[in-house]
Amino acid sequence: MNSATHSYQPISTNVVKELSDLLGASNIIFNDPERLEPFSRDEAADCETRNPELVARPGNAEELAQLVRVANRERIPVTARGAGSGLSGGAVPLFGGIVLDFGRMNRILEIDRANLTITVEPGVITSEINEALRPYGLFYAGYPMSLETCTIGGNVAENAGGGKAVKYGVTGRYVLGIDMVSPTGELVSLGGKLVKDVSGLNLLQLMVGSEGILGVFTKIILKLLPLPKASVDMLCLFKTIDEAVAAVPKIMTEGGIIPTAVEFMDRLSFATSCEYLNESLPCADAGAMLLITVDGADEKQVEHDYDVIGEQCLAAGATNVYVADTHVNSERIWRIRRAVAEAFKVFSPHQSLEDIVVPIAAIPAASAAVNEISAKYGVKIPCYGHAGDGNLHATPVMPPEWTFEHWHGVLPEILMDMYKAIAKIGGHISGEHGIGHKRKKYLAAVADPGFMLMMRNIKTALDPNGIMNPGKIFD
Amino acid sequence: MSPKAVWILAEQREGKVADVSYELITRGRELADQRGTELCAVILGDNLSDAELQTLIDRGCDRVLHASAPELRHFLPEPYDKCLQALIVKEQPEILIAAATSTGRTVMPCVAGPLRAGLTADCTGLQIEADTGNLLQTRPAAGGNIMATIKTPERRPQMATVRPHSTRPAPSISGRTGRIDRWQPPADLLKSRVRRVDYTPAVETQAIQDADVVVAVGRGFKKGDNVELARKLANVLDGAVGASREAVDRGWLPYPAQVGLSGKTVSPKLYIAVGVSGTVQHLAGMQTSETIIAINSDSEAPIFNYAEIGLCGDLFTLLPMLTAKIAAAKQS
Amino acid sequence: MKIIVLIKQVPESQATRMDETTGTLIREAASSVINPLDLHAIECALLIKEAAKEKCEIVCLSMGPPAATKVLREAMALGVDHGVLLSDRAFAGSDTWCTAFTLAAAVRKLGLPDLILCGERATDGETGQTGPAMGAFLDLPVISFVSHIEQIAGGWRARRMLEDGYETVEIDGPALACVLKEAAVPRLPTLQGKRLSRAKDIDIMSAQDLGVSQDDTGLKASPTRVVKIFRPSHLKKCEKLPAMDPAQAEKAVDRVVCLLKEKGLI
Repeated sequence: MNSATHSYQPISTNVVKELSDLLGASNIIFNDPERLEPFSRDEAADCETRNPELVARPGNAEELAQLVRVANRERIPVTARGAGSGLSGGAVPLFGGIVLDFGRMNRILEIDRANLTITVEPGVITSEINEALRPYGLFYAGYPMSLETCTIGGNVAENAGGGKAVKYGVTGRYVLGIDMVSPTGELVSLGGKLVKDVSGLNLLQLMVGSEGILGVFTKIILKLLPLPKASVDMLCLFKTIDEAVAAVPKIMTEGGIIPTAVEFMDRLSFATSCEYLNESLPCADAGAMLLITVDGADEKQVEHDYDVIGEQCLAAGATNVYVADTHVNSERIWRIRRAVAEAFKVFSPHQSLEDIVVPIAAIPAASAAVNEISAKYGVKIPCYGHAGDGNLHATPVMPPEWTFEHWHGVLPEILMDMYKAIAKIGGHISGEHGIGHKRKKYLAAVADPGFMLMMRNIKTALDPNGIMNPGKIFD
Repeated sequence: MSPKAVWILAEQREGKVADVSYELITRGRELADQRGTELCAVILGDNLSDAELQTLIDRGCDRVLHASAPELRHFLPEPYDKCLQALIVKEQPEILIAAATSTGRTVMPCVAGPLRAGLTADCTGLQIEADTGNLLQTRPAAGGNIMATIKTPERRPQMATVRPHSTRPAPSISGRTGRIDRWQPPADLLKSRVRRVDYTPAVETQAIQDADVVVAVGRGFKKGDNVELARKLANVLDGAVGASREAVDRGWLPYPAQVGLSGKTVSPKLYIAVGVSGTVQHLAGMQTSETIIAINSDSEAPIFNYAEIGLCGDLFTLLPMLTAKIAAAKQS
Repeated sequence: MKIIVLIKQVPESQATRMDETTGTLIREAASSVINPLDLHAIECALLIKEAAKEKCEIVCLSMGPPAATKVLREAMALGVDHGVLLSDRAFAGSDTWCTAFTLAAAVRKLGLPDLILCGERATDGETGQTGPAMGAFLDLPVISFVSHIEQIAGGWRARRMLEDGYETVEIDGPALACVLKEAAVPRLPTLQGKRLSRAKDIDIMSAQDLGVSQDDTGLKASPTRVVKIFRPSHLKKCEKLPAMDPAQAEKAVDRVVCLLKEKGLI
């Protein structure tokens, strides 16, 4: 069974009335293309878009459960949406129906210092969590790089990663409990404030990264850590990609220190970004850069840590290691990394931000494979991203002289080549952005068939009518 | 006996009195009237014409004191410092205010040092304290987020530089009379270890600090070529193009265009912030503008908190449209 | 050749946020950094040293609490040779006059250099007066708003920004220059520089060391007095107009044109 075989019903005026009575008329958008349009897309470039028929803003779990029951009864697709900052087309309502806006469910419910947890509603902006925690000297470590825009509900649904995953891991590591509404409209509570819990199947972690196809969240309990008091960033210049990449496993394993972040940029990425930013850092001879962050409980500790890692980089062939221990300098080197995508957008407005992930030791092979594909198609493919996780944003950029139609004809071939090459070296399609609908045909092409079957079976068991975010991950 | 005089340091360029001098007259006249004393403009230059000097009287001065020598034609720090200092020592004014220009901000501290006078920088408000007659000098600090009022109870003269455009220039009143004194400084005051060897006029046609309208370019412009859109808007408004730090750092506009904590402070009649998010640092340089209009695609951008009207949309659509409509409105 | 660079420690302004309701700055336990504009002065000094044919020593001089040694170390990590800190309770509360006077006394102790460099102003006080006043105390020619400076035979050539353009001047002998941020792009400290700077000594000098009396430094000696501090609000009630699609855009632009007419701006 798949979403293509389900038939969905358009939303009738009776249903609109029922939902309007349930949520209040002001919490429904219907029949208003202008206001529905912003809910038709996310941040994935050039993807299919479609307006939802209705946007609903539930105020609590009970309202949400009732809404899902109506949708399930009427065979109306339901797509949950956080801030719409996803990069896989995951929140796009491909079959119309209802898009859930969590703008009203955006409260921080509890900060529990005794158990080191925070309980939040899914619509909370992720950066607000750490702002609320700062006075307590605590922090939530699972946040991704887009923390100022994205919501925690979306982060959990996508199992978001980010710049700090090397040391702290990704979102799922911090999710202790989820309250949710199942596709058939039951309220379900998974996990709790427990550090360990083997009481039954681990459905909690099944829900993490489920991209909204197995239900919608109403409450999330997150694990907290003490806030690091000091942090230093290093920018390490290497002559070649191979040298830079070879340094990563050494840093991770030989120094006895786990850095917070190890970001990688190839020459094309940093040179384009530096030119865009008018950054005059002397890096003409560099072929690759590593951006490494260390954090810790005090300045002395961090000083020791960056000394050790910096020396490792120099020993591994780094031609220079810059140290940024002030906000201004940290910002100066991080913006090179953050501006890569923006810089390429200026070069060409169409690009396909990919998210390949490979075993750390296979990064040189991944880089070589990407370069080969780049040469074959005559398309620039800058590579940058989270080297410490083997997670690279290889990003084919449309040559400015190409037509959009030509680009759209060739891009799927490029991506298919790339994903096959990555699978061959033990890698996979997405490290942190998810499959959504943008990458589902590639997943079907390279993933283990048994894995695909098991996913489908789970989906069918939990969502017999296929109403939850249909058309995502697989057909 | 009436108190000693209030002085302003008027400025000239190429023998013409600079407009900022007339703003100083507005300030100085008010102070002199409250103290019941004379307002005198000191002006350093090379033999300015009587007609030119008379404009200072027409606009409210009782007296003009012109230090005249070829060495004073352009602003050179040493002769300017020494001549002004000699005049102060000789005549003992009670108050001396100058504009917070490159000249004023350089000469005033160099003079205040040896005289042991108190000096307050970049004031936006000047008043006389009722019971003591002291000068109350109010200035923005910490990026304009705090205002501090400062006085100099014991030392004289009380010195301050005043932010350009923080008040209106004094109007000319026909028939006003006053005294013009010319003074030829002795040679030892005119010695300079600094020589002017070259001068290049500014690239942009109008300096942002003198413009009534500033169109500010921010990161939203995406690349340098797009700045042309802002230039076109500035042109129809007879304004100048300013820039956020980001836009200058990326080489889209030269540094003299930068507005903000590490650039210039401007307060034009109209400030149009385009694609400028409004960092604390940028706001510090423009939040005292009379009318602020913001154009930004991010409806949450902080700049909107400081704008009278905010347009949430794409600048590449809005800017040409606004330029065309203003041009049309001016035509009709 | 010897160059003295004046640096000030200021609260890190990037660590501050605006309180939207009161329009005031929230300083979140802001750590102290080198005044950002002083970094450009340090960079000018380093470039001059690198271009110089003779041996050149760069000294950074700062006045502040003992914790200000941190910013001097930061300067030394960039390549500055020595750090000198003027630190004494007697200095507390100095206004620009007293600060300039005290710094000038220190420069006399250290020996008059060939060049004194400072940033155009500090991002906290924003007066830009200390540098020029100090130049006057030392009887040095003061070149302010400097956008470029280089060594020439017997002195310096500098370009300074005036209201309407740039002027190039040449100076015979020693000088004091206040530089703009466009004078040079600061470098980043390297790992090697960081490690070297940790091992270096910083000279700390007191009022007594300088021979400066309490009549000339500190709050009581300062000619200016702060009478009051208040918080202005520049926040406006913004008329926010959506202008995403062409129809909205047209309406919004018309509203702006209308406002400009009302205000007599066109």
